[in-house]
Amino acid sequence: MAGMKTAMGDYIDSSWELRVFVGEEDPEAESVTLRVTGESHIGGVLLKIVEEIKRKQDWSDHAIWWEQKRQWLLQTHWTLDKYGILADARLFFGPQHRPVILRLPNRRALRLRASFSQPLFQAVAAICRLLSIRHPEEMSLLRAPEKKEKKKKEKEPEEEVYDLTKVVLAGGIAPALFRGMPAHFSDSAQTEACYHMLSRPQPPPDPLLLQRLPRPSSLLDKTHLHSRWLDSSRCLMQQGIKAGDTLWLRFKYYSFFDLDPKIDPVRLTQLYEQARWDLLLEEIDCTEEEMMVFAALQYHINKLSQSGEVDEPACTDPGLDDLDAALSNLEVKLEGSAPTDVLDSLTTIPELKDHLRIFRPRKLTLKGYRQHWVVFKETTLSYYKSQDEAPGDPIQQLNLKGCEVVPDVNVSGQKFCIKLLVPSPEGMSEIYLRCQDEQQYARWMAGCRLASKGRTMADSSYSSEVQAILAFLSLQRTGGGGSSNHPQGPDASTEGLNPYGLVAPRFQRKFKAKQLTPRILEAHQNVAQLSLSEAQLRFIQAWQSLPDFGISYVVVRFKGSRKDEILGIANNRLIRIDLAVGDVVKTWRFSNMRQWNVNWDIRQVAIEFDEHINVAFSCVSASCRIVHEYIGGYIFLSTRERARGEELDEDLFLQLTGGHEAF
Amino acid sequence: MGESNEDIDQMFSNLLGEMDLLTQSLGVDTLPPPEPKPPRTEFNYSVGFKDLNESLNALEDQDLDALMADLVADISEAEQRTVQAQKEASLNRPPSASLEVPGFSGAASLGYGANAAATSIGQYEDDLPPPPADPILDLPLPPPPPEPLSQEEAEAQAKADKIKLALEKLKEAKVKKLVVKVHMDDNSTKSLMVDERQLARDVLDNLFEKTHCDCNVDWCLYEIYPELQIERFFEDHENVIEVLSDWTRDTENKVLFLEKEEKYAVFKNPQNFYLGNKGKKENKETNEKMNAKNKESLLEESFCGTSIIVPELEGALYLKEDGKKSWKRRYFLLRASGIYYVPKGKTKTSRDLACFIQFENVNIYYGIQCKMKYKAPTDYCFVLKHPQIQKESQYIKYLCCDDARTLSQWVTGIRIAKYGKTLYDNYQRAMARAGLASRWTNLGTANAAPPAPPSTGTTQANGQIPQAAHPMSTVLGEAQRHVELPKDQKPAPGVPRAQPLPKSSLPPPPPVRGSSDVSGSPGMPPKAKGTADGFPALPNDLLPPPPPPPPLEDDELPPPPPDFDAPPDFVPPPPPSFVSNVGSPLPPPPPPPPTFIPESAEKPPIVVKRPPVPPKRQENPGPPSGGGGEQDFMSDLMKALQKKRGNMS
Repeated sequence: MAGMKTAMGDYIDSSWELRVFVGEEDPEAESVTLRVTGESHIGGVLLKIVEEIKRKQDWSDHAIWWEQKRQWLLQTHWTLDKYGILADARLFFGPQHRPVILRLPNRRALRLRASFSQPLFQAVAAICRLLSIRHPEEMSLLRAPEKKEKKKKEKEPEEEVYDLTKVVLAGGIAPALFRGMPAHFSDSAQTEACYHMLSRPQPPPDPLLLQRLPRPSSLLDKTHLHSRWLDSSRCLMQQGIKAGDTLWLRFKYYSFFDLDPKIDPVRLTQLYEQARWDLLLEEIDCTEEEMMVFAALQYHINKLSQSGEVDEPACTDPGLDDLDAALSNLEVKLEGSAPTDVLDSLTTIPELKDHLRIFRPRKLTLKGYRQHWVVFKETTLSYYKSQDEAPGDPIQQLNLKGCEVVPDVNVSGQKFCIKLLVPSPEGMSEIYLRCQDEQQYARWMAGCRLASKGRTMADSSYSSEVQAILAFLSLQRTGGGGSSNHPQGPDASTEGLNPYGLVAPRFQRKFKAKQLTPRILEAHQNVAQLSLSEAQLRFIQAWQSLPDFGISYVVVRFKGSRKDEILGIANNRLIRIDLAVGDVVKTWRFSNMRQWNVNWDIRQVAIEFDEHINVAFSCVSASCRIVHEYIGGYIFLSTRERARGEELDEDLFLQLTGGHEAF
Repeated sequence: MGESNEDIDQMFSNLLGEMDLLTQSLGVDTLPPPEPKPPRTEFNYSVGFKDLNESLNALEDQDLDALMADLVADISEAEQRTVQAQKEASLNRPPSASLEVPGFSGAASLGYGANAAATSIGQYEDDLPPPPADPILDLPLPPPPPEPLSQEEAEAQAKADKIKLALEKLKEAKVKKLVVKVHMDDNSTKSLMVDERQLARDVLDNLFEKTHCDCNVDWCLYEIYPELQIERFFEDHENVIEVLSDWTRDTENKVLFLEKEEKYAVFKNPQNFYLGNKGKKENKETNEKMNAKNKESLLEESFCGTSIIVPELEGALYLKEDGKKSWKRRYFLLRASGIYYVPKGKTKTSRDLACFIQFENVNIYYGIQCKMKYKAPTDYCFVLKHPQIQKESQYIKYLCCDDARTLSQWVTGIRIAKYGKTLYDNYQRAMARAGLASRWTNLGTANAAPPAPPSTGTTQANGQIPQAAHPMSTVLGEAQRHVELPKDQKPAPGVPRAQPLPKSSLPPPPPVRGSSDVSGSPGMPPKAKGTADGFPALPNDLLPPPPPPPPLEDDELPPPPPDFDAPPDFVPPPPPSFVSNVGSPLPPPPPPPPTFIPESAEKPPIVVKRPPVPPKRQENPGPPSGGGGEQDFMSDLMKALQKKRGNMS
């Protein structure tokens, strides 16, 4: 229809020339020129373009991007007129899916194709489907922070970038499992490795790197991160993202629905990683005691994931073996002898007997350590003057159940003491056991630890406990023993582990490695039994229990106030925080919220709560879109129900978080 | 009135039925000798009693029977383990039991087990809808017939079976039981046997059954340390024996059974703990009200997420300095990981906090009258200590709050931090239990005390001896109750009755002294009240079908028939006879002359029904009230009923 000419070569219809560049927004790109009219449908135009290009290729993913209007022309039945396109429009004919580099919560880089034309919410959902992370509504993308000069130096040039650009996911169905991983990962060794990277915790970072990474030094710094969230209702292209750009994928909403270790390995791991980095980089503060627990869990998780026991707790096997042995033992006994023997055999408990030096601090006593014959049976410790007197009455007998066990060890000084605080009706009694060497120490220490929890050395965890203690001792020898500073690199695959990689840098400054090690080990005894996913879950739970957990900070200025303040947004409430002091000024809960409005012109958010409480503020550090999305997002997340499973009410989400038509 | 008439008719028919049953049961009883079940008790000892004998005396029949069964079983195995057993034997209560023991073989015991199970189930159905696990019941259920198994039999069994069995046995063999004296809120006490696997929840259920209280969620076991002046409630999931075994032998500590609102206050009004109070006090008014839906969502949010939320709590508290009577004010914060304080010159940001205590190894207690004892600034104190510490020690931490509200917030907050979601689970279980109970009362005669009328019928039908016998004892207990009231406070039929009357009505409060004495053993109780009591008691027994008696009892009691006979006989004779009447289960009740010993509430004389009891517990049969006794029991019944009604409403 278009293109009728007179003999002179003039066009006599209303057609005009439309120039379309082929490729992504590249001014140098080749272009084709078409003859179109205002009534041309986009679909027809697309067809013509493909014809013009004369290249055989799958063009199905391509669409037209209108640069000036920052808009995709996706409605193929619309006409050019309807879109308002004139001859001066700069149009690009390019793929809708383009590669980007995702920086995952575990800080690894992954290249994959993301949709540049769908609203970000859908694009993220597609990414999550590819990565097999359920509940994509909790995640979103951030712009990478501006690169600084410094950063380039730090970065190892050949950082491994996993590549998933070739992987195509069929349909919207949940991918089937194949060989323990979603089928689309099992295509090649490369993708398999990628899946392992996603689903297994990463080793602890190099302490040196950790120290150099930027950490927020104040509440204000913590607001920076949140200014970088992308809009979920607009597509990447509209937000100025180009192919090959780096984006961060993070859990944005701290409301983790239906977290199930069995079906969420990637999600759980990534969540764990995000939590860990939050703690290591001091995005969230915790106390010293809490840090030790986190460190112990990291140590444990790392140990398990290194040993390859990904799904199975490392200790089950020996444990099962023991049980099997016990059972078969029992069987034998049952056949042959009287049942009472069975009882005996099963209840026989290994004991420790040895010469140890004992010290009991008492007032007005200067006696030091004295050699005694010590017998440790079940959970009871008895000591005698000498071995000969052992059958008689001990000097003292202590039941270690419920006692506190504190290591007092200096490897380089060859000091291996166990301090016991044993509860008794009169209070706690203190006693020190001094062992001769590491082996002895490890056996006794492990026994004491189990006894304090009411378990005996017959417990299946005894041997692993001994091993763990020995491992930690060796660690101390290599690690913090001599020089207080960073011994080895980030090489975490060896048994030895640098405690500095497990704690936030401020603890690195505060403690020497040899001080940290025993404390981490102490905390470790409480978690040593956990399987990998249990440990990760425990880590996440402990993280969630921190008072400051899940608060996203934004600098705002409340209406009628003259100074900037911080608005904290959590999954159930808004918190007004004093910028300078960090004190909570006021809390409003979402459950009391009636409505909220955004005035896009003056960038002000107004919220009405029950009982006619009205709050209004303008956003300083981030756009009010981000605040608006956070609020709407949390409201949306609170509407999720288990019964509905995983289906996602996309429209509701966009309704709650979008609403920017006026914008 | 119409209602009550019906009731009475009902009771009458029940009575008749009961009599039938009993006569039947007599015959039956003799035939099948009671086979004591053989759960082995490793050792028993008692809590709250001076010595073993006392504790045994204090036990109710059922408990004693169960205990006896255990012991006898032990003996039969030729394991003369405990002196107690011998003592017991000397008591010669159930001689028959011991005789029978030898006869019982593996097979027999198995059969018995099944039997027991059946009966217990029957009871459940008949009686209270929510059958709390009766410890005694538990025992019989798992019949471990390991020893008796002959070799051939053993071989015949599949290996897997053997192993399972043996493991079970192992567990069973180690079960230890305690006789625990529980103080009621009316100053009476109740003794029950608690086995080491029982949680506070089980014991509570047990007590519910014994007391017919309203079973609401506030009921709790409560431990008090008179010496340290501290107390706390057991959490429902706590193992009772474990806690009690930390007590010293000569301890003055007690276990109470009472209602404490604080126990689950956080679930009833979560807003008081979770909202506001951070920052300004402005929220105070808004705290008070909150609609049910919001409460629910608040609870859901706090307890049902991936991790529970510990209430945000911080503020200045007084801390008692170690070993001194001086108190220092410090700023404390509660976190999931423990209590922290702000060191001098530091801020309250997480990184500056110093850990004051973590909860793993300590329990939280209320401090009582610390103002007097330790010169605390206020009386709102809470105490953290290792459960094993029983004496004053520098390892006990005392903290003092400004007001009651703060105290309850801290105590609750610490419990949440320490126990986490378990607390919520406990609450839901308690709610379910309370719900059942209330539904049952609605369905039933509205009277908590009298067991559902229909039950009698069924019981009889079953013809289970054990059941019949049990009913008796329980009924007696109830009868006593009824009786007691009229007697002591005779004039006032409308006297408000405390809801939670202990079923066995151990020692009722001081005023009721006489009755209290009686209460101790179900059998004994009635004696004190003159003859009149005796009369009513009987009818009552029969009428209201029995609560949940342990089946074991019957078995052991050889002479059920005497009971019946006894009553009539006794009727004419005054108090002493009564006693015997009660004790009737025992063959020859040699009623010791009732000695009147006013007993302090603490040690209510508790008589074991069957065994001729030590003299101590006798009571003065002749409390004045007895005089009225002669009237026909119907009128007494009526009175009792009316009272009940009054209470209920």
